[in-house]
Amino acid sequence: MTGPTAPAAPADAAGGTARPTPRARRVRLLPGFEGRMMAPGLLLLAALSIVPFLAIIVMSLARVRLLGGVGLDWVGVDNWKRFFTDPDLGWIWVRTGVYFTLTVGLEMLLGLGLALAVWRLARGRNAALTLLLLPMFAAPVIVGLLGRFLTDSTFGLYTWLLRQVGYDGDILGSKASAFTAVVLMDVWEWTPLVTLIALAGLTSIPASVREAAAIDGAGGWSMLVHIILPSISNVLLVALLIRSMDAIRYFDVIWATTGGGPADATKTVPVRLYETAFRFFDLGYAAAIGLAMLAASIVVARAFIRVLDREGLTR
Amino acid sequence: MAVHPPAPHEKTPAPPSVTISDAASPTASHAAPDSAGAVPRRTVLRAAAAGGGALLLGACASRKDAPRHATADPWRQFAGTTLNFISENTAPTAAIAADLRPFTRLTGIRVNIVTLELSALVQKVALDLASGQAQYQVIYADPYQVLAPYSKGLVELRELAAEPDLPKPPGGFDDFIPTQLDAAGRFADDDKVFALPYDCPTMIWQYRRDLFDKYRDRMAADLGFDPMPGEDTTWEQYYAIAEWFNDNADDVPYGTGHQAKQHDSLMCDFSNVLWAHGGGYFDDDPAVGRLGAVDPGPCRLDSDAAIAAAEFYRRLLAIADPASRTWDWDGVGAAFRAGRLAMCPNWHEFAAANEEVMPGKVGYAPLPKGPARRAGMYGGTGIAISANTLPNERRAAWLFLVWATSPDTQLRGLASKVGGGTPTRRSVYDRPDVKAAARRPSPMPNLLTTDAVERTWRPDAIGLRPKIPMWNECDTAVYTEVSRMLAGDASPAEAMRSARRRFDRIIARGWKA
Repeated sequence: MTGPTAPAAPADAAGGTARPTPRARRVRLLPGFEGRMMAPGLLLLAALSIVPFLAIIVMSLARVRLLGGVGLDWVGVDNWKRFFTDPDLGWIWVRTGVYFTLTVGLEMLLGLGLALAVWRLARGRNAALTLLLLPMFAAPVIVGLLGRFLTDSTFGLYTWLLRQVGYDGDILGSKASAFTAVVLMDVWEWTPLVTLIALAGLTSIPASVREAAAIDGAGGWSMLVHIILPSISNVLLVALLIRSMDAIRYFDVIWATTGGGPADATKTVPVRLYETAFRFFDLGYAAAIGLAMLAASIVVARAFIRVLDREGLTR
Repeated sequence: MAVHPPAPHEKTPAPPSVTISDAASPTASHAAPDSAGAVPRRTVLRAAAAGGGALLLGACASRKDAPRHATADPWRQFAGTTLNFISENTAPTAAIAADLRPFTRLTGIRVNIVTLELSALVQKVALDLASGQAQYQVIYADPYQVLAPYSKGLVELRELAAEPDLPKPPGGFDDFIPTQLDAAGRFADDDKVFALPYDCPTMIWQYRRDLFDKYRDRMAADLGFDPMPGEDTTWEQYYAIAEWFNDNADDVPYGTGHQAKQHDSLMCDFSNVLWAHGGGYFDDDPAVGRLGAVDPGPCRLDSDAAIAAAEFYRRLLAIADPASRTWDWDGVGAAFRAGRLAMCPNWHEFAAANEEVMPGKVGYAPLPKGPARRAGMYGGTGIAISANTLPNERRAAWLFLVWATSPDTQLRGLASKVGGGTPTRRSVYDRPDVKAAARRPSPMPNLLTTDAVERTWRPDAIGLRPKIPMWNECDTAVYTEVSRMLAGDASPAEAMRSARRRFDRIIARGWKA
């Protein structure tokens, strides 16, 4: 890293001449003060992120052996060729996209609705918010196990309730209902996070703005569309970004409930990645899938950040 | 994770103590910078850095082997050693973990037991073998997920058995049930043994004996054959009985239930039918299942017999409890105990739970025959020693293997209050008390299945899935395709042909551990 040229100020402070010396004008090889301060963080980041990232790139070009220490047999772009010709992977990406759209979309809609409802509460707002937030504190794998018990056809509460209203199918037994169930489990867990973020935005809207709009004759819908939503659009975008990053790598609930079935109906890219890496120990191919997943995450994140940037919210 | 605490009578070495001088603290050095005897901060920092470096080097240095004591008692040679045993959370391990005192008393060796769900265990073992260390000296070596892919990372046990100073397995290797020693202990080479058979879950027919007795005459009259499970009962008759219960009995909602979730369990359940119909995974299925192979040859899942088996399985699942598609072995076991089913194929070790909930109401028999033969999936596992162990550590681990699979320990496991599997040795089944326990009332309920499992373990009846290094991926291919068939996404022929194509692709890539 190249540091900035040395400023003249230290020379002044030392009682020397104000003109920069030829030595001071030279570009420093060592990092400056800011660089030195950032160095520990950068080194840690390198150790935790950059080195593994480079290792994964290397692994994606090799066949990984485990016995007697990790070894790599170079296979060139074979793993990538396989990635682009894998007959199952295309559908898995499509399924992941549908899943992503449904979970994030529902969470945003429900989260906003719940936030508005809680915001309007005159009494018991804290109690309602506490109850609403509870699912968020459960580990995703616990949500999966809970979902599996609740939908179990022998003793599941939801199964029993659905039977009372005439639904005789098995929730995790058919493709559509299993997919719906895992989507709803994620929505159940993470809608409260969107609610919380949206509520933070709502409480920051100045009362004077709402009062002015009301005096101007804005009704409930107009107030929502023209005053409230524009006021909290920045925090909603942040919520969308957070949930999107999370939804792309969603794994625990699916693995704990359906394992990707029935008939691969709930197999998303993270599930396939896990299988490839830790069931088949095909670490080279898993590295290729993982890098593709990383690229997809970056594309989504960049899209949202660009929107935030356009709104001037990243500064 | 279950970690066995040290036995009360054992002495635990005191942790190394670290004493820090007051002068090492910044406060002290600032308070008296020039006082005699005070250590400057820079010196302390240097010393700390040197200490840290030494620790790091120590961590990287070669490991120290277990000491071997000169003693006349071969069991006490490695007293004071600590072993780590990683196991699936199975009944025999629960029984051993509950009472390790006999082993510690016998050998002076302490054993920490870590129990995990199988897939988590496989990950830990693979990474431990890759590390070149032996954090786990004793390994629960699933034949398909550990033994086949990582046999080169396991110790050949015959070498240890041949050492004159070490105890031998009581009764020798021949006391183990032969099919189990081959399936759970060997890989590819008949002359080598990598694991000692430790547990032996086997799929059998579990049925509500009370309901079969109640409706026997009516069923016989309606169906035209004696419905009681017997030597000649076929899968077609099983189907007819299940359908009869669906239509005629109010005691249970469904005649049969299956472990047909998109999971390893679906492969197990389907394979029983596949083999019974004369189908198979490869040309030489019995040999590939029994000894294993790295290159098993082309897949035969698209044979006429395999497609016929798939057609039957789809037909059977169409009349089974619809929730079958959400159940693995635990799910179907729970449904059976909850009174939803008149019968089901399941692992014989579920007998203990059945007898607890429905004492005396459940019968056990080998699975029905198909057009070709009878087959019941064997799911046993052996325990092995990591090849990364140091010589004495390895010998200490051998003592544990011999003890854990000994007749006395297996017998104690049978009577354990916390679980206990079923023995893997012929000598245990030959004991009069064990034979007596195979009849009701039995203090060891898993033994009520003895007749059914012994008949299933015969070479012509045992169902052995292919023991190949890449089995996990093939397993996923077959249960995914059968799941697609059950969901209506593919016909039996399409599913089997697609599974065959996937198998061939996987096998063609080969395996390098």
